[in-house]
Amino acid sequence: MPQKNIDFGKYGARGLKGSEAVARKLDELAGGITTPVTARRGLMARLHYLTRTAHARRAARDAGLTVTDRTLKAWLDGGRRPSKASLDRIEQAYRSVRRQNVARHLLRRLNASGGTRVEIHPLNQSQVPRPLQRVVEYRTMNVRRWDRIVAAWAAGDYQGLDDAWTDTIVDLGSQWGQYEYVTNVGFAA
Amino acid sequence: MGDFDAIDSLLAAVGPEAGLPARGVRRELREQARLSKAQVARALGVSPSTVAGWEDTRDPSGEIRTRYAYLLDGLAAKFAVEVQEKPEPEAVQEPEPVQEPAAADDASPAYDASTAGAGEGDDVESLAVPEPCVLCGQPAGSRVAGFAQHLDPADCHTVTAPGPGPAPASEAAEPVARQEGPPRGPRPSGRSQGPAGRAFQEPSGPADLIGQAVRAALAEHEGDMEAATAALLKRAIPDAMRLLDETRKGARYDIVAHPWIPDILKKQTSRGADQIWEARPKWTRHELPPGRHEVTALDINGAYLSALKTHLPLGQLEHSAGLAHDRRRAGVHLITPPAWEHEAVLPNPIGQRDEPGPLWVTEPTLRLLLRLSGPKYGLCAPPEIHESYTSGATENLLEKFRVALKDARDAAITENDEVTLEYVKAMYSKFVSTMGESNYNRELYRPDWMHIIRSQAFANLWMKALKAHDEGLAVVRAMGTDELHVIGDWRRVFAEGRGVTEVKVKDAYTAAIGTGEEE
Repeated sequence: MPQKNIDFGKYGARGLKGSEAVARKLDELAGGITTPVTARRGLMARLHYLTRTAHARRAARDAGLTVTDRTLKAWLDGGRRPSKASLDRIEQAYRSVRRQNVARHLLRRLNASGGTRVEIHPLNQSQVPRPLQRVVEYRTMNVRRWDRIVAAWAAGDYQGLDDAWTDTIVDLGSQWGQYEYVTNVGFAA
Repeated sequence: MGDFDAIDSLLAAVGPEAGLPARGVRRELREQARLSKAQVARALGVSPSTVAGWEDTRDPSGEIRTRYAYLLDGLAAKFAVEVQEKPEPEAVQEPEPVQEPAAADDASPAYDASTAGAGEGDDVESLAVPEPCVLCGQPAGSRVAGFAQHLDPADCHTVTAPGPGPAPASEAAEPVARQEGPPRGPRPSGRSQGPAGRAFQEPSGPADLIGQAVRAALAEHEGDMEAATAALLKRAIPDAMRLLDETRKGARYDIVAHPWIPDILKKQTSRGADQIWEARPKWTRHELPPGRHEVTALDINGAYLSALKTHLPLGQLEHSAGLAHDRRRAGVHLITPPAWEHEAVLPNPIGQRDEPGPLWVTEPTLRLLLRLSGPKYGLCAPPEIHESYTSGATENLLEKFRVALKDARDAAITENDEVTLEYVKAMYSKFVSTMGESNYNRELYRPDWMHIIRSQAFANLWMKALKAHDEGLAVVRAMGTDELHVIGDWRRVFAEGRGVTEVKVKDAYTAAIGTGEEE
């Protein structure tokens, strides 16, 4: 698409991809365990979440926590502590399982009553030389269908999420390319 | 005739200068009408400082003078009763020789009292400054149905006008056009008929959302007050958001609900606090005046409701360092507070802080400190501002919302409607407490506003404490958002009642020196 930025930040503009901001916001709305996995409390909470039912165990295995039941039992009993690599895997698995579990509910809320109003806060131009600065306004838009966005987010498919989000912000009009990178995307569910 | 018209307009232009009331009276008139200098200045097309000058040392001239006199006349007519009570030494400064000595005293109370009956039901107003009579052209002190004229035919030099009412005589028509038309602007007679400025406009409020909700809840629960109240409290937050949306229809600024938030405004842990100091007062006087005292604990009504009127940042907060305070912006500031030397009689405006050093305060606290350090109060040194996160601000963002809630509250109080009262209270208090990072209200994510509104409530309480202190009451305690303990006759300082400008008594107890206080 011609409006896409090729060399973002060349003149000092700062911001993050709109789709990344959306993913962050969705993660925030999904909530979850805030204690870090490195603390015993956080680790135990994640392990319980991932092993509570057979369905949860299957989902955890699909999400990359491919350890034997014996190891899981040892971790849960406190007989062994996971290595650093395992801790990362546990965190990753927890994130993706949580997303999958919350996605359906979140999607219903986002699509309810005619969609959700999204605020798009433009990128930060404070470091851009004056002559190169452009007027980029704060915009709001209503997003009616969130299915593709939430599905891509739940699957951890960042490219898919980016495509879905780009297709959404095209509705902003011919200047949508200015909103490919943003400081923040805000919405409630 | 064209030649004569030109000459007429010239004559009118060099005619007598419009008389103005004394300078002090000018200000009083404006303040009585609750007009700001800026509003007056805008109407006259001058700067506010010019208006300030006219009310202080200077006099306008030329066409502006005429327009200013026109405005003051209109105001004087509105507040005729109050103006009559004041002597006007400078009121008559006509360059034209006064032929009728009695005319100079036109504005005196005796004259008006005697002429009050002569109006015969007409729209009779008395003028602060005599205007040319439409019939004879001599200064007249009253206006009937919009036309300045003498009420007593004996004062009037035109023989053709027999009585008070608007003269139908054909000769009178021309003097009206010549004497009154050109120097007085386009509305010779309509000046006092209706409100002209923005100050008088009726607020166009939102639909009666609150009343509808209460009626619906009562109908649903078949008049069961408790059940209806419980149901209303449950939906107070979404209803407040709906009311907010309703009040922002067609407004100049959008409510930006999800801006980027700097780290200082984020909670450090799930149950922790962020770094903002709200300056909550928690102060008890160390030493009471000698003797036993009756202490009254006063409660400020609707403290958070009143605090909704505050300078709120509109958009995303932007960082700046080393700049002086800009009163067009609002946000949070890292300051080093000044030393406070009045701890014995007044609470510290930044609250009960244990640690020294710089701290993040919000806009109301900073403005309070700046105000107290100014020449009018001179209570402390100015605070030192290190860093700020600010955005362009307005005080009117929640104004309609506040007024809608306040009106509903006032109506509920007069009608003794407990359900609406509870509902309104829940709406504004929950609105303030959940507008930050709360999961109960995800529509609005403005921790900065939450802190600013709370700080405004504390600053308001602080100013009330100062007012009590200045009026000679001994302030014993200032606590939380709405609690003020004073010794002395507080009724001459604060009005008692349930309105938001009034206070109510929470408690009364006796305290004596040495014991601190006894309940």
